[in-house]
Amino acid sequence: MAVIKKLSVWIGYLIVLLALPQFFDSILAISIFNQMAIAIVFALSYNMLLGQGGMLSFGHAVYFGLGGFLAVHALILIEYETVFFSIIFIPLIGGVIGLLAGIFIGSFSTRKAGTIFAMISLGIGELIAASSLIFVDFFGGEAGVSGDRTFGPTFFGVDFAQDLEIYYVAVFWVFIATVFMYLFTQTPAGRMANAVRDNPERAEFIGYSARRVRYISFCASGLFAGVAGGLFALNYEFITEENLNAITSGRVLLMAYIGGLGYFIGPIVGAVVLTLMNSLLSNYSELWMLYLGIMFVLTVMFLPRGFAGFIMMHQVAWVRGTLKQLALPYLITGIPASIFATACIAMVEMSQSEEEFFHFLSMELDPAAATTWIVTIVIAAASYYATRRSLGQLNDAWESANTIPEEGEE
Amino acid sequence: MSILSLKDVKKNFGVTEIIRGVSLDIEAGEKHAIIGPNGAGKSTLFHLISGLYNVTAGTIDFNDEEIQNKPPYEIARLGLARSFQVTNIFPRMNVFENVRCALLWSNGYRYSFWHLLGRQAELNDKAMHVLEQIGLRDKALFPSGELAYAQQRALELGIAIASGAELIMLDEPVAGMSHSEAENAVELIRRITEGKTLIMVEHDMNIVFDVADRISVLVYGEIIATDKPENIRANPKVQEAYLGEVAASA
Amino acid sequence: MLEVFIFATLNGLVTGLLLFMLASGLTLIFSMMGVLNFAHASFYMLGAYFAYSISVSMGFWTGLIVAPLLVGILGALVERYGLRRVHQSGHVAELVFTFGMAFLIEEAIQFIWGRNTMNYQSPDLLDFPLFTLFGQEFSAYRGFMIAISMGIFICLYRVLTRSRVGIIIQAAITHPNTVANLGHNVPLVFMGVFGVGTALAGLAGVIAGPVLTTFPGMATVLGSIVFVIVVIGGLGSLAGAFIASLLIGLLQSYAIASDVGMPDLLNLFGVSFERSHPLNDLWTMTLPQVAPILPYLLLVLVLIFRPTGLMGKREE
Repeated sequence: MAVIKKLSVWIGYLIVLLALPQFFDSILAISIFNQMAIAIVFALSYNMLLGQGGMLSFGHAVYFGLGGFLAVHALILIEYETVFFSIIFIPLIGGVIGLLAGIFIGSFSTRKAGTIFAMISLGIGELIAASSLIFVDFFGGEAGVSGDRTFGPTFFGVDFAQDLEIYYVAVFWVFIATVFMYLFTQTPAGRMANAVRDNPERAEFIGYSARRVRYISFCASGLFAGVAGGLFALNYEFITEENLNAITSGRVLLMAYIGGLGYFIGPIVGAVVLTLMNSLLSNYSELWMLYLGIMFVLTVMFLPRGFAGFIMMHQVAWVRGTLKQLALPYLITGIPASIFATACIAMVEMSQSEEEFFHFLSMELDPAAATTWIVTIVIAAASYYATRRSLGQLNDAWESANTIPEEGEE
Repeated sequence: MSILSLKDVKKNFGVTEIIRGVSLDIEAGEKHAIIGPNGAGKSTLFHLISGLYNVTAGTIDFNDEEIQNKPPYEIARLGLARSFQVTNIFPRMNVFENVRCALLWSNGYRYSFWHLLGRQAELNDKAMHVLEQIGLRDKALFPSGELAYAQQRALELGIAIASGAELIMLDEPVAGMSHSEAENAVELIRRITEGKTLIMVEHDMNIVFDVADRISVLVYGEIIATDKPENIRANPKVQEAYLGEVAASA
Repeated sequence: MLEVFIFATLNGLVTGLLLFMLASGLTLIFSMMGVLNFAHASFYMLGAYFAYSISVSMGFWTGLIVAPLLVGILGALVERYGLRRVHQSGHVAELVFTFGMAFLIEEAIQFIWGRNTMNYQSPDLLDFPLFTLFGQEFSAYRGFMIAISMGIFICLYRVLTRSRVGIIIQAAITHPNTVANLGHNVPLVFMGVFGVGTALAGLAGVIAGPVLTTFPGMATVLGSIVFVIVVIGGLGSLAGAFIASLLIGLLQSYAIASDVGMPDLLNLFGVSFERSHPLNDLWTMTLPQVAPILPYLLLVLVLIFRPTGLMGKREE
């Protein structure tokens, strides 16, 4: 019974992946889906290190980028007919390079976890990113390297010129990568990775070299990051030094952390959310990175288990059927909180606006007028106060929904 | 036939001598207790044997193989398991997983990433068997970090014996337990160490005299006596160490 | 040749001392609280920006005094309301939090001041050559930078070793629980050390801003190098951080000033390669080109062969 339940989750996943373009078929949507696919594989690979292995890396983009660069070069080789194989296999090439890089770099970086590991990863990341600007022949310098994915052999008549065609290739790889990364967590290597994360000392006393265990996770995560890089190359047909450097490494850390490190599904959530923010918000506001930064810091402070963690917090209530008790309390807190956030955003945006009248939520506001500011500040202050006051009732509702009653009650 | 043999083992931390030349032979199948006043170096001795610390001098032989200065995982693989004074489990994993991890190496799984643990029937059965032995079968899926103290100590024991090691070292296994909990724990220890060699650090003299075949007394980094319990009880040097000169001459 | 060497040494000294101003704050914070403050260079950047804004209306010298204070107060607040809260979630969470702060501060600065370079000028008072050697000038401002850096360090050294506060801090670094049991308010000490550490970073920003240009990327430029220094010098060692700072400052300065490269090395062996050779980039590499990556190369080598750094005491 449990087997069928588990299998149905995976089948559902596959169906959702395949069916998405049916519901959202605009060019923009497909492009966003492709970005999500790349981000999902990348973030899941990162979580093999951080969430499951306890290794905080600031240089994970190296494996992504190297995979991507080799993939683009492979596209070029296909184009010039030096080699001949379908571009469907390109992510595999990215994966192989990611694995090789992981094997080499991991051989000396996995001795310790913690701060030392983080520093080594930062150093290696910067070293390789900086080196890529020196080795211009392979890395293309500041301009990067570009290729064309339409020159390979066709697949049942498809030449992969369209983003939608690439989407289905991406679905194939995302599904396989997710399955394999999940299965890894169910193997001795995967479980011992958790054990080493929790208590490296004890792990040694049950016969496992903590270093070796970390090394294996490290190599595996490099492999899948390389696959993500290969997908990136297929999608954009273009790659630069930025895909190797600390900015990209930081981005995947954000994705995994916001999504939730402690759950397998966390990075998937984070990847989806961040891709949406990146694509959609950037159209509405130039300041979306500022909002992202604020959201990230608030998540670290108040939601350390991420969005997935937040959802999973409700597991007990779900099982007990008391979830509906929480609906009204959440509303009572949620509404003033949303008003507060909206007012703050309005103030932030207004201060940047250079126009006479500032369009906000189908209202026209005059940023120069003092009244606009006074009103907004008052709204913000009032809603903040209301939110703080309402936290008490939310807390009480939470307690009652989660406490298991004594015998004879309820 | 000694299973564990220490020859003139010394350990210094900087200039401080903690272990000052310990020689000890433990027979296979023996139940051996190590007692001594606080700060004598009992835990340090355990750390030296199990590989957490390197010796400053001397040798430690396990089944005629030198194990001093080897890393803990190599020593564990040879068949030596230990528990800790301060509970040392994998708090974020459930009870079953804790024990199963301890079984992995000795059941040949090494660093495999191609075996799915859910499908390993024999391994899972063995893990359940250990859980039964330590009385935590119905807590199998419980997060181990949230167990009650005595249950965590039981799990601690379970992890130590799961691998089927022939030499088991327990560091103050009943510390912090109530009287009845300790009784149960001792019963458990007796059961699971049948046919194996046991070295135990313990303060409770009743338990020590009850369980041990021989006792070694460690004082200021040196063993002042190794003998059968009744002889230790009567040994004047031991009395002096514990009670001071007055008692010895009384 | 000699003039190149002298000026390279002087410039290396300026850079090295500046780096130490950053590294010392970082080391103090790490020693005390076990957290490597990823946002340290961001406070440096804040110092430069604050000083710029102040200097526009009230002159450089007011900025020199007020800006580091503002940064220090901000740092103390970040510790009190942010870091302390995250502390219970573990070291990884702390690192990630400071990383998030770095990100946030950079975005906030762009939000408030925009993305362009700020025209932060060094004061007119110091706008003259301190001395001229072989036709090259060494500006008085750079001399001033050296003087201030040395002055701060001497103060720091005396406070740490001679004053009561300094002794408490030294004790709290290795035995925070004991110090708390003796009745000292350790959380207050933590907040103070974080505040002072970030104030030092801010001060570095104030004096470096006019020379190294004040722009939103200035934190990333220096940020990773400071970590490299702290790790190479040995996590938790001020003396090690000092040596490493000077080492890196001088190394980079010499590398940039020199004109040698792979072609020279290859010539020694009478070897040369065609331009079309696949490893052409490697054979035409010059030392100035490689200068930016030397610190990272050093970091990786040190972490492999001597993980405790040059003089490290505290390891994770």
